[in-house]
Amino acid sequence: MNFLNPASIALAAGLTIPPLVALYFLKLKRSVRLVPSTLLWKKSVEDLQVNSPFQRLRKSLLLLLQLLVLILAAIALGKPMFETADAYESTVLLLIDQSASMGVVEEAGQTRLEIAKEQAKLQVDSLSDDARAMVIAFCDRAIVVSSFDTDKQSLKRKIDSIEQTQSTSSLSEAFSLAEAYAQNLIIGGEQPGSDIAPVSAAPPATVFLFTDGKIEDADKVALEQFDVTKMRVTNVGLRDDNIGILAMAARRNYEHPERLEVTAIVRNFGSKPVTVDAVLYIDGRNVDIQTIILDPTPASDATRTSADPELGHVKLAAFDDIVFGGGGVIEVVLRVDDALSADDRAWAVIDPPRRARVLLVTEDNLFLENVLQTLAVDYSTMTGDQYESASENVITTDQRSAFDVVMFDRHTTDRLPRGNYLFWGAVPKIEGVLAGETVDGEIIFDWDETHPILRHVAVETIDPIRWIDLTLPRDAVSIMEGRRLPVMSYLTRDGSQFLISAFSLIGEDELGRRFRNGDWVASADFVVLVQNMVQYLSSNIATQSKRGVSPGEPVTLPIPEGVETVEITGPDGVVHAIPAARYQTIHFARTRQVGTYTIRPGVAGSDVFTVNLFSETESDVAPAKTLTLGASNVNAQAGAVPINKPAWTYFLVALLVMLLLEWIVYNQRVFV
Amino acid sequence: MAVLDRKQSDDLLDPAFMNKLDQLALMSKKIFAGKMRGERLTKRRGDSAEFADYRNYVSGDDLRYLDWNIYARLGQLFLKLFLQEEDLHVSVLIDVSKSMDWGDPSKGRYARQVAAAISYIALSNFDRLSLYAYSDGLQYELTGVRGRRLMFKVMEFLTKIEFDGTSNLTATGKQFAIRHPQPGIVLILSDFFEKGGFEDGFRYLLGRNYDLYAVQILSPEEIEPNLVGDLRLQDVEDDDAAEVTISRALINRYRQNLQAYCESIKQYCTRRGVSYLFTSTDVPFDQIVLSYFRQRGLIQ
Repeated sequence: MNFLNPASIALAAGLTIPPLVALYFLKLKRSVRLVPSTLLWKKSVEDLQVNSPFQRLRKSLLLLLQLLVLILAAIALGKPMFETADAYESTVLLLIDQSASMGVVEEAGQTRLEIAKEQAKLQVDSLSDDARAMVIAFCDRAIVVSSFDTDKQSLKRKIDSIEQTQSTSSLSEAFSLAEAYAQNLIIGGEQPGSDIAPVSAAPPATVFLFTDGKIEDADKVALEQFDVTKMRVTNVGLRDDNIGILAMAARRNYEHPERLEVTAIVRNFGSKPVTVDAVLYIDGRNVDIQTIILDPTPASDATRTSADPELGHVKLAAFDDIVFGGGGVIEVVLRVDDALSADDRAWAVIDPPRRARVLLVTEDNLFLENVLQTLAVDYSTMTGDQYESASENVITTDQRSAFDVVMFDRHTTDRLPRGNYLFWGAVPKIEGVLAGETVDGEIIFDWDETHPILRHVAVETIDPIRWIDLTLPRDAVSIMEGRRLPVMSYLTRDGSQFLISAFSLIGEDELGRRFRNGDWVASADFVVLVQNMVQYLSSNIATQSKRGVSPGEPVTLPIPEGVETVEITGPDGVVHAIPAARYQTIHFARTRQVGTYTIRPGVAGSDVFTVNLFSETESDVAPAKTLTLGASNVNAQAGAVPINKPAWTYFLVALLVMLLLEWIVYNQRVFV
Repeated sequence: MAVLDRKQSDDLLDPAFMNKLDQLALMSKKIFAGKMRGERLTKRRGDSAEFADYRNYVSGDDLRYLDWNIYARLGQLFLKLFLQEEDLHVSVLIDVSKSMDWGDPSKGRYARQVAAAISYIALSNFDRLSLYAYSDGLQYELTGVRGRRLMFKVMEFLTKIEFDGTSNLTATGKQFAIRHPQPGIVLILSDFFEKGGFEDGFRYLLGRNYDLYAVQILSPEEIEPNLVGDLRLQDVEDDDAAEVTISRALINRYRQNLQAYCESIKQYCTRRGVSYLFTSTDVPFDQIVLSYFRQRGLIQ
């Protein structure tokens, strides 16, 4: 038993009990009655006093009862609580999960977040009056909803203001925030001028975590200040019936770019088999429908966590040969009524089919021309002089390069509008990049075989005879290296990409005779390398849909120059006006809702982006029974949070009983 | 009857009841010698027609009482003895302390009615009647009344007595015993609420070998008090006060104490040959006189 408001007990008791006792001390004004003789009366009174050891008590029974009534009333005013939870803490931290899985509507018609908020408010109610509580809502980011406060009404209002998001959940930031605030609390709480080390004086904060246990980084949380054993995890939610899209992509046929192939990985997280219709929409038009039969998720954890499509509970929805020559938004919708709706839809943006435009600046290079002919690209050729003298509108469009990739074969230039450039045996004239003497007899010593450019390329067959000594800035990414010199490097500057190869395909000897710079240029590896290079540099016009971002993830968007304000319309129709003056890109982080976001005015091809949940942790809505926090397991308390229940009602009932008793005693005394 | 003040007699005794009383006489368990010849035979030899015994003649005896027949047969002189007829002393002691002026009808009135009835019977039988009113001593007295024609005096006396003062049976008993050496019937009418104790008073009276009758008269309010609340009970006699908070327990205790007190008087009286009678004022007084006194042999 504890009291939320112990001061009021003393106040109420102090104000009422002394006057009551004083009233009893006052001489009772008795009415006078004449009797023939007091002989027997006196004797009777004496007898009673002598015979009853509790006579004094009997005499003051009414006083005792009235005192009891007052004491009970005072105790009831002190808000007594039954301690079903742990002892009261002076510092309490309420962490409330607002991630996508908290949006599951439970049987009672409330979402998990609403239940969690109710529980958190009950917890606030059961705090003692001088306890400080802090509220942090977390999804992929953590927000301090209320810093340490003792005002319960304010805390409850702020808890109510927590909104549902469709983001994934992450606890690390929440704990970092909490620890930072807890330290501030100590420093701020000390007397000015005192010299007490803040950490040693850290208050023992009790952490109440309201979640369904679906936290992606729970095991990575580093708890420095908070004692895991003191943490109380309240597990909200019971439902596990959810079907979600875990991934989705649209790809154009390489040979027939007007044909689309859309695939989505669909998984049943529930314990019952389901049949679900997956519907494909392109720009809002219903294009195709597929029925998928999904087995229930196996009970064992090993297979449960696996997303292998071979398993019965994970299926691939594939829509083949969808004819769509334009660009637009592709949407896959699962027609199902399940726990979580955020993962029943997935979006992807695909640009109109277009071949990459490649400009080859060379005096004469059959190898490259032949390779470009075999690739699905539109290419044109210029000599170095033609390039330098070409008019601006040929080279640039919208202040960007008019070509997706510009290949310079042994041509060094500073005419480099924003774009993607590939240099063979030459360097761009940009700061930090210098071409030195030619070097013979080097070999390729090391390379990054994971780099997309070197995919399916047998680097060991590349045997250039001569290359140039390159000096590159520190931020250049080395793709191939000689023993001491860079061979091929990747560099970005001001929105432009540069691939710089130290060797060219055709070399010239001292006499000006041209020779093939290595045998490998006649091999298939060369073709693959060039294709990789063109694809890598022109990835913004790739034939597959853009990945999109996860909810809450910031997105970097290119914007047309000279635009003052960009308006971004979210899936909920809310328009966010972003000031964009003097910037070429903007960062947009209000991506909490899944769906498509439209940028106006936007750069063609980047004016729409999508936000998809694609989170197995969030889609697996079955609440976790235990939560691994850092290195410790914390058992989640299912159902209601063990709050301290108010006990004042019992005191009130006891008070009423006492009043009744007092009434009976009084009547017995008065009416004999 | 004719000489009675009608109003006075009506007040205490009604004529029909007095007619019933005419048939009655007071009987004493003891036979006493009176001052005057009366209508009762006493143990003393006298000149009544009632033969008692013989004795030898001694010189100086009245020759009229010699039994000549025996002398003729036996040749010896025997004197015939006869019982003496004498009057009976009847004393009625009425408690006129303030506590007797209580109840409705008051205990005092009830006592006067009983006293009037006894007096009437006594006077009707030519007994010598003395009436005393006492509180902390003998206050009023009417002594030596004899003959029914003086009934009006009795009534006048009973009507005029006032109830006042505290009751003191000890002092009264002492005074009475000194003043009244003749044996006879003594009837005490009182509530016997004696703060100084009733025993000493009785002891003085018992010393004179009276034929004692004690009648304790209480009002129904005293037997079953009808009190409520926190009270200051004030004694009407001495202004003594008892502060009580009436409760069921207290009332029960009072009842027990009252019963024990009455029982103690009864036992005291019974052991010493005193006839004790308890009555409440709601018992009709004629019932007391005609029934209870008869049962106890006071009236025949």
